[in-house]
Amino acid sequence: MIHALAFYVFAAVTVVSAFMVISARNPVHSVLYLILAFFNSAALFLLMGAEFIAMILVIVYVGAVAVLFLFVVMMLDINIAELRQGFLKYLPIGAAVGIALFAEILLALGAWSVSPVAAGSLRAKVSDVPNTEALGRLIYTDYMFLFQAAGMVLLIAMIGAIVLTLRTRPGVRRQKIAAQIGRRREEAVVLVKTRVGEGVSS
Amino acid sequence: MDGLHNWTLAAPEIFLAAAAMILLMIGVYRGERGADLVSSLCVASLGIAIFLVLRLEHGTAYHELFLVDAFTKMMKVLSLLAAGIAIVMSRSYFVLVGVWRFEFPVLVLLATLGMLVMISANDLMTLYLGLEMQSLALYVTAAFQRDSERSTEAGLKYFVLSSVASGMLLYGASLVYGFAGTTSFPGLARGFLAGDVATGAIIGLVFVLAGLVFKISAVPFHMWTPDVYEGAPTPVTALFSVAPKIAAMSLIVSVVMGPFRPLLAQWQQILVAVAVLSTIWGAIAALRQENIKRLMAYSSIANMGYVVLGLAAGTEEGVRSVVIYMIIYLAMNVGTFAVILSMRRKGVMVERISDLSGLAQRQPMMALALLLFMFSMAGIPPLAGFFAKLNVFLAAINAGLYVAATIAVLASVVGAYYYVRIVKVMYFDDPAEAFDRPVERDMAVVMLATALFVFPVFPVFQAPFMNGAQAAAKTFFSGR
Amino acid sequence: MEFLVKVIVFLPLIACLIAGFAGRAIGDRGAQWVTTLGLLVSAVLSWIVFFKVGFEGAGGTFRVATWIVSDTFESAWSLRVDTLTAVMLIVVTTVSAMVHLYSIGYMAEDPGIPRFMSYLSLFTFAMLMLVTADNLVQLFFGWEGVGLASYLLIGYWYERPSANAAAIKAFIVNRVGDFGFALGIFAVYMLTGSVQLDAIFKAGPELAAMNFEFLGVQVPALTTICILLFIGACGKSAQIGLHTWLPDAMEGPTPVSALIHAATMVTAGIFMVARLSPLFELSQTALAVVTVVGASTAFFAATIGLTQWDIKRVVAYSTCSQLGYMFFACGVGAYGAAIFHLMTHAFFKALLFLGSGSVIHAMHHEQDMRHMGGLKDKIPQTHWLMWIGTLSLAGIGIPLILGHGIGFAGFHSKDIILEAAYGAHSGVGFYAFWLGIAGAFMTAFYSCRLMFLTFFGRPHDHHHYEQAHESPPVMLIPLYVLALGAVVAGFAGYNIFVGDGWEGFWRGSIAMEGSREALHHAHEVPWLVKVLPLVMGVAGIAVAWWFYVGSRANLPQMMANAFPALYQLSYRKWYFDELYDFLFVRPALWIGGQFWKKGDVGIIDGVGPNGLAAGAARMSRILGRVQSGYLYHYAFAMLIGVALLVTWYMLSRGQ
Repeated sequence: MIHALAFYVFAAVTVVSAFMVISARNPVHSVLYLILAFFNSAALFLLMGAEFIAMILVIVYVGAVAVLFLFVVMMLDINIAELRQGFLKYLPIGAAVGIALFAEILLALGAWSVSPVAAGSLRAKVSDVPNTEALGRLIYTDYMFLFQAAGMVLLIAMIGAIVLTLRTRPGVRRQKIAAQIGRRREEAVVLVKTRVGEGVSS
Repeated sequence: MDGLHNWTLAAPEIFLAAAAMILLMIGVYRGERGADLVSSLCVASLGIAIFLVLRLEHGTAYHELFLVDAFTKMMKVLSLLAAGIAIVMSRSYFVLVGVWRFEFPVLVLLATLGMLVMISANDLMTLYLGLEMQSLALYVTAAFQRDSERSTEAGLKYFVLSSVASGMLLYGASLVYGFAGTTSFPGLARGFLAGDVATGAIIGLVFVLAGLVFKISAVPFHMWTPDVYEGAPTPVTALFSVAPKIAAMSLIVSVVMGPFRPLLAQWQQILVAVAVLSTIWGAIAALRQENIKRLMAYSSIANMGYVVLGLAAGTEEGVRSVVIYMIIYLAMNVGTFAVILSMRRKGVMVERISDLSGLAQRQPMMALALLLFMFSMAGIPPLAGFFAKLNVFLAAINAGLYVAATIAVLASVVGAYYYVRIVKVMYFDDPAEAFDRPVERDMAVVMLATALFVFPVFPVFQAPFMNGAQAAAKTFFSGR
Repeated sequence: MEFLVKVIVFLPLIACLIAGFAGRAIGDRGAQWVTTLGLLVSAVLSWIVFFKVGFEGAGGTFRVATWIVSDTFESAWSLRVDTLTAVMLIVVTTVSAMVHLYSIGYMAEDPGIPRFMSYLSLFTFAMLMLVTADNLVQLFFGWEGVGLASYLLIGYWYERPSANAAAIKAFIVNRVGDFGFALGIFAVYMLTGSVQLDAIFKAGPELAAMNFEFLGVQVPALTTICILLFIGACGKSAQIGLHTWLPDAMEGPTPVSALIHAATMVTAGIFMVARLSPLFELSQTALAVVTVVGASTAFFAATIGLTQWDIKRVVAYSTCSQLGYMFFACGVGAYGAAIFHLMTHAFFKALLFLGSGSVIHAMHHEQDMRHMGGLKDKIPQTHWLMWIGTLSLAGIGIPLILGHGIGFAGFHSKDIILEAAYGAHSGVGFYAFWLGIAGAFMTAFYSCRLMFLTFFGRPHDHHHYEQAHESPPVMLIPLYVLALGAVVAGFAGYNIFVGDGWEGFWRGSIAMEGSREALHHAHEVPWLVKVLPLVMGVAGIAVAWWFYVGSRANLPQMMANAFPALYQLSYRKWYFDELYDFLFVRPALWIGGQFWKKGDVGIIDGVGPNGLAAGAARMSRILGRVQSGYLYHYAFAMLIGVALLVTWYMLSRGQ
């Protein structure tokens, strides 16, 4: 009973805050609503007993992604009014398409039933082991290939970011650590005997 | 079951991944000067990968996430070939615009890796990862000429729209998972064969197809194509027009002919709609184009329409026609882009159709090559393109898709107009200023090879290609 | 023998190819000599073959190549050589060789000599294919080949609109005839299952008993076939109704007129009827039709010849008329006589044409006889040679002596035809006889009118008159050769063609039964009948002399004024061209125009190509506008796409 109640509360808050993300006037508010939605989703995962995923969601999405969003939104100074200019113009057709699609999906969901063979194809028995371990097995053993592939995707993203943004500007002084370290005393220091009153001249 | 069972089936992928990383290191340590070396090594790696692909046994690996059979091998070879040629053709362009950097070939290599993963996908998750791996690398290549506004715009557009498409695909995949309880292709097939198929799964399929169709730029998910083709650096456009199309097409084939084959009646009409719309749109919208890269964009939309029509037949013959079409499409497109890449005056690239005026008098061999490609694309016998279309139409007609086939034929008539117009411009208009000479050796070789393939090699020696395509198509029908 | 025949047939083809394709390389002179020598060799060999076949009974069918084999249909490419073919061979090759030689002089100043010579040789080859055919399909091949060559040669001076029009007219009018011919061939194949001549002849009696059903009406098969084939013959041989192209064909160079439109091609119809005489023989109806058409043409064309001013047109109508004689000879069963006349006619008509050409050459391409006159002193050789041709055409000779009389070639051949017509003792026979007699009078009249207007009287065009000159030897030699033929061919050939030796000569190459009867009766006619043609000929000459030389008054003008209707009827060629223009040409052009403007341009182009193109262009503009470049438009388009696809799926699933 309490379980069901909690589900409906969290789910409702998730949906409402997701809606607010796209309808809030202030983009900073949007991001905050997004964070709220993430939190509630994490709670939903918790209700399902997937505590590891719930925690990851909080750490990664709230702690990293959403905060990144917040920075970007603040830096970009988006003019919402300008973005909304065409809103009313496109509203009717947009609404029509959205409602049609939504209705169709609802229709499909109404007839939801688990496929008879679905149960047989589940990979991990959640009940046997702690779900962190179950996830670990899946990711690092069964889905090792996917894990590696995901690694490649990240590598590509990294390369792409570097390629598109890294510039070597001429005239910028850079620290050459190896040269600094490799420098010897003889290269840097010259001992000159000076007599009093004459100064140093090479 | 051991997760590493059969792990060598992914040998080409593993090799490419390792090669990419090593080449990256070489590039980093050699700096700007390393570009030529890395580029050559990339091409060599792709060559080795082809060799590895050809040596593969058939089977699945990594808990059925990964599949190798005759079809995937064929498609992998084509993708690798296309990527290799694209790298070869890209050097002179990037040197010209001053951004010849080692990252480009490496990115192409990584994109190719993504393609191979896509082609071998035997699970919705593999499919998605492969797709993203490929796409991510391609976004970067589109924006590679980062100081050019058009190039960055192209990259950004492609990135955003592609993300939307990926979103749809993921949404569709989750719907499918939700209703079928599995993401594995064989598992899905078993489920669909077992009986009652929920509507949600079909809607999921529609979304998945939408995400995939975006990659082959078929209507109604084609809008990005002209802008991206025009804006992206030309060698990247050349790459876009071929390699990802092959990979995505192969993916569509594996999805609809594999797990979703029991639902043929359901997806057939969707594909027919996509095919018919693409052929019409590609033919008609191209009529007014003045920029040859934009024109090629519409051309590829129309061409993909024909391929999808062949697939929509849902028969062995249909799949065979898809494979043959992709082979010929590869040759025609690569050749055409070799010509486009040779269109430069005083060291500046030009890409208007009117720049080709009177080419036949200035550079008769190049004009002849382009004539062959254009006529072939228009589907004029006895050039290769004619056989490509013929096979598709035959497959469609044999599957009873009369209306669709008729419309596609009519659209190809309209399409012939703009192909032939290019020939007219080259042969009958007053000569414009000549292009720089001599044509780069790499381009000349590519032009010559592809032109020879279009005519007479393919029309005369069809048998091996046909047999290969037949063997590839058979895999879906004789139990994998 | 086989080798000889093949050389005869293929030498002109080889010459044609050399002159046609290597004309530039070997030059004008080379092209002239290659073709002319080729034809001379062919001609000499043809005479050898003629003697071997005609008198020693050699001959046979020589296979060249397999042509069409399809199921039961078989049509090999073979050369059939019997007496009929042998006669045609000498006629074709001899006249052709002379015309080739003549053309060297006549066309000397033309810029396209190799082309011309090549066409001439092509024509000769096609004609030889025609006469050596051993099946109907090959016959048809030669038939169309000569038609093509004729078209090319009539339109040889293609920069002249009138020449193009004439060429097209000849081709189209011939199509009408060819349609009948083709239908005839189809019918033959349908009923007998073969197109081989021998097989058809064997099946002839069966055919005679068969009936077709056409539009619910039973028609006798053989008669229908024969009439269809005869329609083809009418087209090629310019018989009444389908004759309109022949006078216009005079637009071609004069050697062409002599070779094709007088001596050889136009006789193809006669040849075809003679070749198929075993079939025609079995249908009295068909023969009657042939007789009536032939006799009518003989008369009708002669009346037109009376009033024409163009020297070549007079000769052309004369040709038309003479072909009529040959046809009614066939119609009454005297095939030998028809071929006999065909041969003599070839010589004297070619002579007349080439003579006219010589006159025209002398007069600097002036063809109107009103501008000529008094030329006999300027070009005496041509003058005398033309007289030979004229007298031969008029049929002058002395009957009743030396067995069957003695005279110019035309005398012998025309008389035997008229006698055969009389001897047929049938209604159509008498019809033909009396029209033929009337024709003989008119023939003599118009041919002498031509002579008197051209060579006698005062010159009408002094400028041309002063510059008139005799033709070079290269043009005169052929005239002499042909004149020799025009003089002796009749006397020399009478006995073997239609006299006592005819059976040993023809040896079954024409229908023997009918010929025997016809010739038998022909020799039995009263002496008055034998004399009458000569009387008419002499009378014609006399009247012509009185009209154009003897009388001071302008008698021809007076006659024209006295009988304006008759004069106009003749001068306007019986209004055939006007009639056809009204009946066929204008309606056809109108219908064509309607189809073109309304049907093709309006509906098919308008809705089809042009409509599609305009629609495509319009669509293209619209689609171009959709391509706005805005990211959110594109993204939204994708969403709409997905929504539409899903909706479509949901809707179609509901059905």
